[in-house]
Amino acid sequence: MGSLFFKIALVLYFLSMLGYIASLVVRRVQVAKVSTWVLFSAFAVHTASIIFRWVETGYSPVTNLYESLSFIAWAVSGIYLIFQVKTKTRVLGAFVSPVVLVMAITASARLVEDAAIPAILMGSWVSIHVMLTLTGSALFALACLSGIMYLVQDDLIRNKKAYGFSRLLPSLRELDRINNICIVTGFFLLTLGIIAGSIWARNVWGSHWQWDPKQVSTLISWIIYALLLHQRFAIGWKGRKIAFLSIAAFVILLFTFVGVNIFFITVHNFI
Amino acid sequence: MDIILVGMNHKTAPLEIREKLSISCDDDTATFEKIKEISHINEALYLSTCNRVEVLAHVFDAAAAETYLKDLVFSHGNLSPEEMERCLYIYRNDSAVRHLFRVASSLDSMVMGEPQILGQVKDAYRRSVEQEAAGVMLNKLLHNAFRVAKRVRTETTISNNAVSVSSTAVELAKKIFGNLRGKNALVIGAGEMAELAAKHLISNGVRKVIFTNRTYERALKMANDLHGDTVSFDLLEEALSDVDIIISSTGAPGYIIDEKMIAAALRRRKNRLLFIIDIAVPRDVDPALGKTDNVYLYNIDNLQSVVDDNVKNRINEAEKAETIIDEEVTEFSRWLKRLKVVPTIVDLRGKVESIIKGEMERADPWMKNLDDGERENVEILVNSIINKILHDPVTGLKEESENGAANPYVAVIKKLFKLD
Repeated sequence: MGSLFFKIALVLYFLSMLGYIASLVVRRVQVAKVSTWVLFSAFAVHTASIIFRWVETGYSPVTNLYESLSFIAWAVSGIYLIFQVKTKTRVLGAFVSPVVLVMAITASARLVEDAAIPAILMGSWVSIHVMLTLTGSALFALACLSGIMYLVQDDLIRNKKAYGFSRLLPSLRELDRINNICIVTGFFLLTLGIIAGSIWARNVWGSHWQWDPKQVSTLISWIIYALLLHQRFAIGWKGRKIAFLSIAAFVILLFTFVGVNIFFITVHNFI
Repeated sequence: MDIILVGMNHKTAPLEIREKLSISCDDDTATFEKIKEISHINEALYLSTCNRVEVLAHVFDAAAAETYLKDLVFSHGNLSPEEMERCLYIYRNDSAVRHLFRVASSLDSMVMGEPQILGQVKDAYRRSVEQEAAGVMLNKLLHNAFRVAKRVRTETTISNNAVSVSSTAVELAKKIFGNLRGKNALVIGAGEMAELAAKHLISNGVRKVIFTNRTYERALKMANDLHGDTVSFDLLEEALSDVDIIISSTGAPGYIIDEKMIAAALRRRKNRLLFIIDIAVPRDVDPALGKTDNVYLYNIDNLQSVVDDNVKNRINEAEKAETIIDEEVTEFSRWLKRLKVVPTIVDLRGKVESIIKGEMERADPWMKNLDDGERENVEILVNSIINKILHDPVTGLKEESENGAANPYVAVIKKLFKLD
């Protein structure tokens, strides 16, 4: 059931992406509205698939890279839908839905395989740890996306090309606001996630912190996000610089997520 | 029966003629009464705005009605017939329909794509309905015109982009700040363009406009006119930290806002975004600020080039709009042609129905023996046979009418079915 629902969600994600892109081409709000509903149903079906998987397997549905990608895709679309209600900037959907789709497709590659999972991944602390850090990552992904959009819009306005494509992007202030909300909540969740992880680490490895490459790399991302927040709130950085920083921080976070497993030997080799 | 349109607009008539006519036509009901009195006119619509005066009418005799309408216009304008003749245009049928559609879609406006004209056409139509001067033809025609206008508005971007310098400035401000509610603006120097831009900002929700000028009295006057505040020119630097939009148009020979001032202001305002519009020649604002983070600087040439692009876009979009109008004119003219065979079709159906009615009555004695369900079935059967038989000739008649070749068929049907 879980994988059937996931496939349906995949198709719906694809349709909503087509809809959002079509809405840019024909420039009709109505098309974007329909796409939002399609995305909403994709999200609902995806939620069902995650719950089914949880019930079917008996452990939290975030124990490997593919499941995690599926979870992030789910979180990104959920968070986007919340923003949609709050900010009414539907155009963001055209940028979010392809990202969600790519993650969901990558996830689908090996999602059906039902590999036996290591015993240390059982338990509630690890589930909490993973879900918090992944939701945090989803928020950082959106922050990165709004950062990219900010840079594009800034460049268009600055270079006096504020027509055509620029019309489709939200205002600078809106993009900066979305970026800010995402990073603040993302940072909060990542911090909680790291704490939950260290409690779990104490249970399975005996100490809270092992200086494992994964942990170090996560710490670096955490420090960059902390720095970013400091610059924004204490120094008063806004706009372009923050946008750059949130893109850079996310690239490092991505490396933490997939790169570390490839280039380093890590005890944290599940995700 | 024809549709005719007699009128003049900003392209054909100079201002002095248009204003004479519109003053004398100011009393709309009186004019309308006169139009209705013309015996050749069946239905009429009278549209008068500052840029156009038009009469649209459904008439029995086009040539006669035209003469009367022209006479009416001449007598109103108090001008020589030769003068008026040059300014008037007269359209019949399809070209009248096309003209109405173009007017309603704002393709014929002085500022193409401006939205007011549709409202004015709607008002004119409402008056026409109130005066009982609108019938089947005008109802259909005007509703189609409204639909065309809506299609043009939604299917093209003709009225999307600003085509004046001050509305472009507002549009840019919205790209930066989202909406302008709660934003403050500073206007440096007194000038017509600055005042216009300030008005635009206020009508778009800017909370407060502060005026400053070397001659304080002038700033005060503008502030009074626009319900704004003033600040002394010496305090310009401090004022920069509290405003989001700056419009500068002084006659100063050098820069009055430089990088140092803005850098200090940005520190004080914690890098909140700043939009500077420099419409002064020579420039008031150091162009190097165009590269500063969180500052967006536009000078008069930048704004003008955005306007030019938007105008170009409107011209492109107008072509799309013309295609839509072509389609709709064809559609309307089909309807118009079909309308000619409608009385025949109605007569034919009426005759057939009266035959059915008569025969049913004749069959009543034995039909009484049937129960309700059976009787209903018989009626359904009879009706469906009749509908099937009539379907092909009726569609055929409509098709022929669209090609304008229905007359012989109408004659034959009338003769064979004895419809007269």
